[in-house]
Amino acid sequence: MKIAVCAKQIPDPAISVTYTDGKIVRPDEQVLDDTDRYGIEVALQLKEKYDAEVTVISMGKLGTQKGIQQALQMGADKALVIEDPALENSNSLMTSNILSGMAKLAQADVVIFGTESSDGYSGVVPQQVSRYLGLPCISYVKGIDISEETELTRQTIAGSEKVIMPNKCVISVTASGVEPRYPNFKDIMAAKSKEVEIVELSSLEFTAEQNQEFVEIKSISSNKSGEKHIDEGDSFNLIIERLKEIKAI
Amino acid sequence: MKSLIIGEVSNGTLSSGTLEIITKAQENNLDFKLVVIGTENNPKIGSDTFEVIYVHLSPDELSLSSAADTLVDAIKTDSIELVLASSTYVGRDISGFLSVDLNSSPVANVINFEINGSTLTTTNSIDGGESEYFTNVTSDVKILIIRPKSFEASDVTLSENYTTSSVEKNDLTVNVFDVFIEEKTGPQLEDSKIVISAGRGMVDVGNLKYIEELAGKLNAAIGGTRAIVDAGWMPYSQQVGQTGKTVKPDVYIACGISGATQHQVGMKDSKYIIAINKDEEAPIFQIADLGIVGDTLNIIPKLIENL
Ligand SMILES: Cc1cc2nc3c(=O)[nH]c(=O)nc-3n(C[C@H](O)[C@H](O)[C@H](O)COP(=O)(O)OP(=O)(O)OC[C@H]3O[C@@H](n4cnc5c(N)ncnc54)[C@H](O)[C@@H]3O)c2cc1C
Ligand SMILES: Nc1ncnc2c1ncn2[C@@H]1O[C@H](COP(=O)(O)O)[C@@H](O)[C@H]1O
Repeated sequence: MKIAVCAKQIPDPAISVTYTDGKIVRPDEQVLDDTDRYGIEVALQLKEKYDAEVTVISMGKLGTQKGIQQALQMGADKALVIEDPALENSNSLMTSNILSGMAKLAQADVVIFGTESSDGYSGVVPQQVSRYLGLPCISYVKGIDISEETELTRQTIAGSEKVIMPNKCVISVTASGVEPRYPNFKDIMAAKSKEVEIVELSSLEFTAEQNQEFVEIKSISSNKSGEKHIDEGDSFNLIIERLKEIKAI
Repeated sequence: MKSLIIGEVSNGTLSSGTLEIITKAQENNLDFKLVVIGTENNPKIGSDTFEVIYVHLSPDELSLSSAADTLVDAIKTDSIELVLASSTYVGRDISGFLSVDLNSSPVANVINFEINGSTLTTTNSIDGGESEYFTNVTSDVKILIIRPKSFEASDVTLSENYTTSSVEKNDLTVNVFDVFIEEKTGPQLEDSKIVISAGRGMVDVGNLKYIEELAGKLNAAIGGTRAIVDAGWMPYSQQVGQTGKTVKPDVYIACGISGATQHQVGMKDSKYIIAINKDEEAPIFQIADLGIVGDTLNIIPKLIENL
């Protein structure tokens, strides 16, 4: 079995995002999107069971490739990456079109995603890739049980439901259910010698187009002039008073 | 603009997200048709003023991709220019599938849109709601995925007047062998007037009993941050924020919540926000109407006692 797991490099989430001309400013050093750790963990559990090969797939500014290394350190075997000026500020369809092409290059049977990226959060890339590849889409997976067969539990609006993982499919994984592993020193050292292949845009079939024109960013002064009190043991009174004033009680 | 709304069913009627989109569509005099996707039998989702089609799916299989095939046909046949869906599991899945066939990338997390002639401008909320991001959508077919609570829910009268269609199993259909329905008791997050949410500052899962007691006294619904949902203190259905629910109650009480932007997007439009946090610098205080700097474990029990 061959598995491709999509992972995105994003600006350090501890630092607030800035924009120029509507585009997120991306520093050279970007990190692995935390939400992708869950997908990588699922890929690695499948690797252990099926002796599968796991390829990390990533699109975007490569920079120092710190995020790619982080994905490899967790235990993926190799990476396929792409960066091209034509892909800057891609919409979700352009992204999924490219990722589908790369999944094909990796000859992936199973393609795994996070549910939504921390900086783009369109949350539709996995579904789009499944459509491009003509594979069943098991979205919002929040649990995996690898016994005889591999059972996937999906989050639904009413609760959850279980399916048997098809041999070929696309999976998106929510941020719960599995516990992403932390690499140890040996894993970190081993990652350095893993293959990172840079893919050329010309080698992929690329039909999606930009369909969003940036207009402007407006800041809405949300400076609420709320009141703040240090609790001295009686602030429950204040809360009750305010709840009465606004007729909540 | 000829439009198609992708609706969903909840408890035998239209979901709140669907009703919210209908409000906006009617305000803008859109020429729309409603296609509802669901697994319930005989829901009351029809209308005498607009056309409603029910795509009835089996709960025993994942067949949204064949539902998408049907929708693509309808969109092409009717020369639909605008597709509106809710930011839900079903809404995102369906929009993702459609977008490939229509070669039109969806605009996600839309909180508002405006139509001027043939120009459609969308608004997204960014920076945890501190800025708004505007774009024009240029594709022939425009697909928008709308965040819940962006508009008021419509009070349109619903009837039995709709046509039902089913979808055929295709190669991509996956069988579901087990369905679990989470029991829902007490006031629900989406429509409760008071919401009390807990964060990691409640310190221990055992202390959630205070939140439950307080909620009981105030007839409030209970929410939580992703941090505590991930920790297994609460089911995912109670998560408030970017990847959880959006709430807009009259009162939101944040107990031991730092106020990360991803949490704020889900609650900042609440009418009155009370925050209790022991860190004076916690970002939640920037959006609180009443901020109390102190220990939740001291304050909440006293509050319960004195209510
Ligand atoms: C893509 C993505 C999506 C996300 N989606 C969501 C989402 O939908 N919803 C969500 O909530 N988060 C979401 N997050 C996570 C978010 O960034 C924060 O990590 C999370 O909201 C923090 O939860 P918290 O406030 O409970 O915990 P913390 O940030 O750890 O805050 C705990 C707070 O409690 C205070 N505290 C501690 N002890 C006490 C005490 N005894 N009394 C009073 N105060 C105390 C501390 O001062 C601190 O401010 C998302 C993150 C990403 C990357
Ligand atoms: N540029 C990218 N490179 C690799 N994976 C991506 C990229 N963008 C999105 N993804 C994957 O698609 C998922 C959903 O992303 P999004 O649609 O941006 O919310 C993410 O969790 C990633 O797994």
